[in-house]
Amino acid sequence: MNESGEELYNIVKEKIETSQKEGTLENQFGNFWKMACTIKTRQHDMRYLYEDTSREFVDRNRENLTEMREEFVKHMDLYVEKCIDIMRKKNFIVHYAKSNEEAQTIFMEELGDSKIIYKSKSTEAKDIGIIDILNKNNIKIKETDLGDVLVQLFNYTLPSFQVGPGAHFTEEQIANKIKEVYGVELEPKAQAIVDYFRSTFRNELLNNVKVSLTSANAISAEDGTIILGENEGNISLITRATEKHIVVCGITKIVPNIFDAVLMTQLQSRINNVSFNYINLISGPSNTSDIQGMSIQGMYGAKEVVVILVDDWRTKAAKENLIYVDFLKCIGCKSCIFPCTASRAFGNIYASKYGLGATAIIRDYIHNGIEAAVNDGLFLCTGCENCYHWCPVSINCGEILKSMKKEATEKGLAPLHLEQYKEKIFKDKNPFL
Amino acid sequence: MKKLIFLGCLSNSKYKKTCANAIKIIQSLDPSFSVLEEVPCCGALSYHIGNDTELKEHVEFVNNWFKINDVSEIVTICAGCYNYLTKYYDQFLGNEFNIKVRHFLQFLAEPNNFSKLNLKYSGKKLKVSYHDACHLRNAVVPIIEEPRQIINSIENIELKEMENNRTNSICCGAGGGVYSIFKQGSDYNSKLVFDQLNRGKVLLTACPFCYTAFTRIKEENQIKKPVVKFEDFIIKIMEGVDPLIE
Repeated sequence: MNESGEELYNIVKEKIETSQKEGTLENQFGNFWKMACTIKTRQHDMRYLYEDTSREFVDRNRENLTEMREEFVKHMDLYVEKCIDIMRKKNFIVHYAKSNEEAQTIFMEELGDSKIIYKSKSTEAKDIGIIDILNKNNIKIKETDLGDVLVQLFNYTLPSFQVGPGAHFTEEQIANKIKEVYGVELEPKAQAIVDYFRSTFRNELLNNVKVSLTSANAISAEDGTIILGENEGNISLITRATEKHIVVCGITKIVPNIFDAVLMTQLQSRINNVSFNYINLISGPSNTSDIQGMSIQGMYGAKEVVVILVDDWRTKAAKENLIYVDFLKCIGCKSCIFPCTASRAFGNIYASKYGLGATAIIRDYIHNGIEAAVNDGLFLCTGCENCYHWCPVSINCGEILKSMKKEATEKGLAPLHLEQYKEKIFKDKNPFL
Repeated sequence: MKKLIFLGCLSNSKYKKTCANAIKIIQSLDPSFSVLEEVPCCGALSYHIGNDTELKEHVEFVNNWFKINDVSEIVTICAGCYNYLTKYYDQFLGNEFNIKVRHFLQFLAEPNNFSKLNLKYSGKKLKVSYHDACHLRNAVVPIIEEPRQIINSIENIELKEMENNRTNSICCGAGGGVYSIFKQGSDYNSKLVFDQLNRGKVLLTACPFCYTAFTRIKEENQIKKPVVKFEDFIIKIMEGVDPLIE
């Protein structure tokens, strides 16, 4: 283990120590997260809403979905071309960005003079560096998903769970924070908090949004339809009551057709046991043909829908068969995090700025290299492959992380104890002597 | 042509009694199986921390050792060795590795051996729980139903499944060397396994790594329920000894 290996090891160890101390933010999150993992994985086998359990639903669709994603990765360039072609015909403004930097430049150009942007939850925006470039240019980011609104309100900077990033804050904490920031006294009850945001923020979302940003759950290559699932209605509002709706996502969000897109969205809902009360299908900007049959853009909804499809690491991973090539199949359901041994035990210590768990660590590795991954707790992975057993598209994150650990070891970043094991195996032919 | 009982470094170094029990059971079913001295480590614990060249060198060394000793068949009592020998030896060596590898549980569940086993427990009806180790459930040929088949065949023994079982089982938390590198907090998952024991009076495990983790967590947390290795459990049943005694 070299110097930076030792430094990284100590950082992770310190983070764990902090998370074990009562009263720390890490500890609060950890306790919440342990409970969430238990409940969520238990829900996989419950039959409380549908005739089938979510495990049965996933098992029934796994083979088809895996095949669909494999087919997409194999012919990625063709699907991207087909998708862009049809989207342009449907009056989307489509940009294809080869790199994150290119996507960021295009995004800033599309943003124009606007100094404020309203956005929905989006891991892709983080992956593509849109959040960083917005911060760099002092553009005000207004989160609209309540979880993210709370994270902003608390100025919470630790990694959090992408699906419910503010779910660990208690009703009392939120009510106190609202009093502190807005001077409004609320009953510390979830309903009162929701009512407060409905009465204040909803008006803003209906009237003030000029430019909005979302990702996509999936985009159908056959007809260029963007699919966005949600339960709050924030996406519905900011994609309609806006002048310009910008969609930024990786090209891997493309699926062959609309049925695949709907199935994927349904799966994301079932596998996480969350409801998508609204599923938005967006096939172009708002339009009317009611005057003499002339097609005029920008009736009540968005005048422009801009789509920035980003390649960056994706084609390279497929062509060069990089260690994370399997990750191209990922549909972003994030359900691999609940059954994860390391995630359950270490919460937001086993995480990166992209979120919790293995997929967030893989993203950090892709963009920031192996040191970043070690810092995120790469060596906390036990290799149990629970992620693989639960993955609806059969991605083995455990194997990807094993390859990352190998790279870390070659670069002198593996914990000393493991290096000693290795020495004993290769030299003494018995690690337990 | 030798039929080798591959004990694995961990069991051979730390669990001698279990090794003796396993040898006894295997040889009672097929006397042509034997153990050898100075058996090299299969290399399982190095996969995620070695580069491909050194890993290949090591598996070539081990394979060569098998050849020199004329080994044609292996029954291993180590879950890690079973997983590694069946998955990565094939990956690194292809046709060069042509030894038939089975795990102890597979060996016991084979019709020929299974019929000879004929296990009976004469004590009061006993409820046991079995923990699916990652190494066994994730293997190329997963070992999931075999232990259940064996347990269910024993008179007066009832298998009480834990909430998380089969491919959905909870990892002991010690894989990847996590417990030895980051001790603090890494016992959480093992505790969950104990929490799930419910009506099971004993936790059975077929993995020496899980066993090591479980016994450590049990001691540290003063957990009373016993953890017993599968081999020890079988021999106790065979010899009419109380299987709850660790």
